[in-house]
Amino acid sequence: MFVNMLEVYKYREMLKNLVIRDLRTRYKESVLGFLWTLLNPILMLIIYTIAFKTIMRMDMPNYSVFLFSGLLPWTFLQTVVSTNTSIIVNNSGLVKKIYFPHEILPLSATLAGAINYLLCLIALFIAMLYFHIDFTLSLIYFPLILLIEIIFIQGLSLLFSSINVYFRDVSHIVSILFMAWFYLTPIFYPLSMVPEKYRHLYELNPMTKMEQSYQAIFYYGQAPEIKGILISCAYALASFLLGSFVFNKLKKKYAEEL
Amino acid sequence: MDAAISVENLKKSFRVYQEKPATLKEKLLRIRKDQYKEIPIVNDVSFTIKEGEMVGLIGQNGSGKSTLLKLLTQIIYPASGKIQINGRVSSLLELGAGFHPDFTGIENIYMNASIFGLSKKEISKRVDQIIEFSELEEFIHNPVRTYSSGMYMRLAFATAINVEPDVLLVDEVLAVGDASFQRKCLNRIKELKNKNKTIVLVTHDHGVVERLCDRAIWLQAGKIREDGPPTQVVNEYLKYLAEQDASRETAGAAEEQIVETAELESIEVEENTLDSALRWGSKDIEITGVRTLNRKSSQESLFASVDSMVIEIDYIVRKKLSDTPIFGVAIHTNDRIRVYGTNTQIDEYELDTTIKKGTLQFSIPALQLTEGDYVLDVAVHDTSGKMFDYHTECKAFRVISRVRDVGIYQMPHEWNTIKR
Repeated sequence: MFVNMLEVYKYREMLKNLVIRDLRTRYKESVLGFLWTLLNPILMLIIYTIAFKTIMRMDMPNYSVFLFSGLLPWTFLQTVVSTNTSIIVNNSGLVKKIYFPHEILPLSATLAGAINYLLCLIALFIAMLYFHIDFTLSLIYFPLILLIEIIFIQGLSLLFSSINVYFRDVSHIVSILFMAWFYLTPIFYPLSMVPEKYRHLYELNPMTKMEQSYQAIFYYGQAPEIKGILISCAYALASFLLGSFVFNKLKKKYAEEL
Repeated sequence: MDAAISVENLKKSFRVYQEKPATLKEKLLRIRKDQYKEIPIVNDVSFTIKEGEMVGLIGQNGSGKSTLLKLLTQIIYPASGKIQINGRVSSLLELGAGFHPDFTGIENIYMNASIFGLSKKEISKRVDQIIEFSELEEFIHNPVRTYSSGMYMRLAFATAINVEPDVLLVDEVLAVGDASFQRKCLNRIKELKNKNKTIVLVTHDHGVVERLCDRAIWLQAGKIREDGPPTQVVNEYLKYLAEQDASRETAGAAEEQIVETAELESIEVEENTLDSALRWGSKDIEITGVRTLNRKSSQESLFASVDSMVIEIDYIVRKKLSDTPIFGVAIHTNDRIRVYGTNTQIDEYELDTTIKKGTLQFSIPALQLTEGDYVLDVAVHDTSGKMFDYHTECKAFRVISRVRDVGIYQMPHEWNTIKR
C-alpha cells in the first residue's frame, strides 16, 4: 500500500489536473456556472426547512443551520461515492490504454468533491450570520473532521469503484443504499429524538458520529466529543483499508474486464 | 550495455466465455461452472532488449503484439513470467488520452503530459517544444473541440512523443497527419533513438521496421517465430504471408501440379486435362510440363524481386520436323500487361534438334520485378509460325519486394548528389 501511495504521489500533477478538470467541467456551459455550487444546497435547504420545520413542526431553534451543517457533509459523501462507483468504468479509455495508478481516478473526484464542499460552506456561513449563530473556536476542529471524512469516502470509493467493474449492479445498489442511509443518519433530526432503545444501533452507522461532530462545531459551537472523533477515525481507517485491499486485488484485471 | 527490457517466459491468456455473466444476479444464479475457453495470447515469450535498441514487433493481426505491448506497459498483468523494465516507460497506445474538448490546446497538453507521469516543471520545460512540433501555434489557445481531427492528432502525438521517456512503446500510431507530419514523427523517433532511448515499435509498415529498427521480432500465435536483423526477419515474414495467401488462393493449383506430373509419366496420353481454351496447337511438339525453379533448383511460386529464376519447359517431339522449332516464353502481369517476351530465335539460341524428349531451361539471373502476381506463357512453333503447342498462363508466380517501389520493372539504379 505504501508503494501505491508513492506512485500516486509521483502522478500528483495528473491528480491536480483531474481535480481541476472535474471542477471546471461540472457546470460548464451553464449560465449560472459556479453559482450552482451554492444554489444547489441552498435550494435543498429551503425545501427541507419547509418540509421539516413548517410542515412537520420540528421544534428546534435555528433549525436551518442545524440541518445545513449536517446536510452539506452528507451531500459531499453521497455525490462523491455515487460518482466514484462508476468512475473506473467511465474512464475505461484511460484505464485500458495508459499506465497510471488507478487510485488517482476516485481520489481526484473525492478531492474535487471536498473542494466543492468547502465552497458550499460559504452558504452555511451566510446562514449562520443571518441567524446570529456565533463562530466559535471549536471551528478549528473542522479540518480534522473533514480529513477523517475524506479518508472514509475514499475508502468507500475504492471499494465500490473496483467491484463495479465486475458487477455493474453495484451502482444501482449504492443509490438505494444511500437513500436508506440518509434517513437512518441524524441529519435532519438530532440523535436525541431517536427512541432510547434504538439509539445504540446508531453507533453502528459510521456517519452518526461524523455528523454529530459537524453539528457540534457549527450549530452548537462546541468542541466535538473526543470519543466521537475516535470512532469516526476507526470507521474511516477500516473503510480505507478494506477499500484499498479490494481495489488492489481487483485492479489487475480492469483492462481486461472493461 | 544494460538490458532496458527483459522478459522471461511471459504468458498471458484470455478467457473467452461462451456467455459472459455480466451482472451480480446472473453470477449468483449461475450454479454450474462458467463455460469458457482459455485462449493463449502470449505464450512463453522471452527476450531481452538492450538500452538504446530499437525493436520492431511484427506479426499478423491477433498474433499478440498489442497484448505484449500492453503487458510491457503494465496495463494488464501476465499470468506467469517476469517483466523487468529499467527507466521510465511511456507508451503511445492511445493518443490524446484525457483530452477534454472544452479545454484549450495548451491546457490539454498539461493534462495529457501529466497522465504520462510528468511533473508541472517538466511539462513547462517542454511545452514550447510540443507546440512547435504540433505546428499549432495559432490555435493553441482555442478549445480542442474546434480543432480538425488532424490537428487533434497532431497535438496528441506531439505531446506524447515529447515526453522523453527512457523506454518508448509505440503501437501503430505513426500513421498520423499528412505526409510531412509523418516524416517529422519518424525523424523525432530517430532523434530519440540517437539519444539512446529504447524503443519498441508495433507496426505493419515493414519499410519503417527495416529503415529504423536495429532488430525485428516476429510474433506468431503468441510465440516468437523469428528474432534478428530487420531485413532478414521482414523478408521471412513477407514470404510467409505470401505463401499463406498463395495456398489459400490456389487450393486448386496444387491439383493441377499433380496432374502435370502424372502427365509426364504417361506421355502417350493424348487427352490433355489442362484447360484447352488456354492452350492450342498441333502438338507435333508437346510441352508436357513447365516449372519455375528457385536458386536451389526446387519448384517455387514465390520469389523475392532480387531472386533468380529458372523456367524449365519439358517437351516431347512427336513428329519428324523439317526445321528447327522455336521455343518462346513471356511473362505477364496479372492484368495481362506483357512484361517481357522472347524466344530462341530472337535470342539466336541453337536448339539441339537431336533431343526428342528433353527439358529447356530459361534462366533469369535476377527477376527485378516489383511486388505482385505474374503469369507465364510458353509456346513452341516453327519458323513459319505454325503453332505446335501454346500454353497461356500455364504458371503463376508471386514476387515480393522489400521496397515499396511502383511500376513493373525494378530498374537497377542509384542516387547521387553532386555539389555545384
